[in-house]
Amino acid sequence: MKVMAMKKSSIIWIFAGLVLFIACTKTPIIPNGGTDTSKAKIVGTMEVEFRVPGSFLGPSRVLRADLSIAKDAESLYKGHFLETANVYNSKLMYTFDLTPGVYYYQAGIICVALGDSCSAAGFPGGKFGMKWAIGTVEVKQDATVHVIPQFTN
Amino acid sequence: MYIRKKITPIRLILAIMAAGLFASCSTEIDINSSNQDVPIVYCVLNSADSFQYVRIQKTYLVDQAALNTPPDQDSMLFQGEIVVTMERWSAGKVMETFRFAPTNEIPKDSGFFPYQKNILYKAKIKVVANQTYRLYIYLGSKEKVLYAEASSLGKLNVIDPIQLQQRKISLYDGNNYTCRWDPVQNAGVYQVALRLKYKETIGNSTRIKYLDWPQPFASPGSDVDYLSMDVSGARFMHILQDNLKAGEGIVREVIGVDFQIVSGSLEMKYYIESTSPSAGALMEKPVYGNINNGIGLFCTVARINVNDLLLSSVTIDSMAYGQFTRNLGFLDHTLDRDSTNNFK
Repeated sequence: MKVMAMKKSSIIWIFAGLVLFIACTKTPIIPNGGTDTSKAKIVGTMEVEFRVPGSFLGPSRVLRADLSIAKDAESLYKGHFLETANVYNSKLMYTFDLTPGVYYYQAGIICVALGDSCSAAGFPGGKFGMKWAIGTVEVKQDATVHVIPQFTN
Repeated sequence: MYIRKKITPIRLILAIMAAGLFASCSTEIDINSSNQDVPIVYCVLNSADSFQYVRIQKTYLVDQAALNTPPDQDSMLFQGEIVVTMERWSAGKVMETFRFAPTNEIPKDSGFFPYQKNILYKAKIKVVANQTYRLYIYLGSKEKVLYAEASSLGKLNVIDPIQLQQRKISLYDGNNYTCRWDPVQNAGVYQVALRLKYKETIGNSTRIKYLDWPQPFASPGSDVDYLSMDVSGARFMHILQDNLKAGEGIVREVIGVDFQIVSGSLEMKYYIESTSPSAGALMEKPVYGNINNGIGLFCTVARINVNDLLLSSVTIDSMAYGQFTRNLGFLDHTLDRDSTNNFK
């Protein structure tokens, strides 16, 4: 009788283990065909507060135009970016998750005013003239570094 | 010996009834009634266009299997006099009256139905926002007037994207683009569509081609400052993979993207809902229509196109070397296939 009882408990344990094994091999389904981002990555966060400097031009005359990150100055110069954010008039904060290291960034603003208003405000070339703020930032693991691009007049 | 029976009136009536019953016992049954020639009318007033069109056709009947036998061209069109007019109403008064004229200037796509003769009715109408439009169609052959009414939409104001080429669009895994627009008065449904334009070279032949990617329909929210829709960067790469053919010798160069933001009236919303696949137990839904004395739809849309925007260099490099699109032959942002970018 004892032997029979042992056998029963063994069968129950084997069955439970099998169920657990099957349940644990389920492939995750990623909505919209996206890639699996559940793997833990060693990253830090770069947070850019993209302020558009005030001037005598109205706020709808100077717009955010570009915010890009590169690994080094040469890549930045050549336009070989690691990340380029979609910038909007209504959005101030932009974040990038990057592996720890030093990065170069550029932020661009554009003047869309008519006449010679843009030249008067220091935008080279008049309408659609751009100003750039370029800088470096060190991203550290599990930390957020805050950047405010500075535009010169 | 035989029995001779007298022919009485009752016997005569019974004999006639029996003969009638015998004659009516035919095995041929005509399951089709005669064609009712029901008018089918479609008109979508578009505030972005200066000319508006009305399509008028009718139901048809074929004796053979309907899915195998295309109808005759003339069986889909009304003969005789057709008068199409439209009125613009504001504050209970008719402000303008328009008369439509027949035209065949827009070719119809080839397919199952006949496409050689595509008769539409056209009028020069600049749609004014927040007005009531009434459509009247007189069909001489049926001596019938069709009538429909729809309200035009308010102004569609798109916040993002703006017409600025310097502001490049990034669409890759982990980077979505958010379209924003102000809520439109009288609107019931919205849709954003993206068009990728590219140059395709196969051998010595180069053609400019495009790929349209309509986004799902969106409904207006309540008490919101603006409406928005995210265009998924990861999905964009899958759409390219699913819709473009990979092959030896195909070289593709990205030109840019166009955005189209469309708002539709409530009538259009009801029509879309009635024709979309059923998610519930009710599999057969009646198709919405607002044409009196006929079937079809009269509704209004407002549309804004934001064209010739450029994709960011990271997006173009993702298209050239990304895991889903690397076999499609896209050139990278330096117009090469040997990028110095570290994208993997």
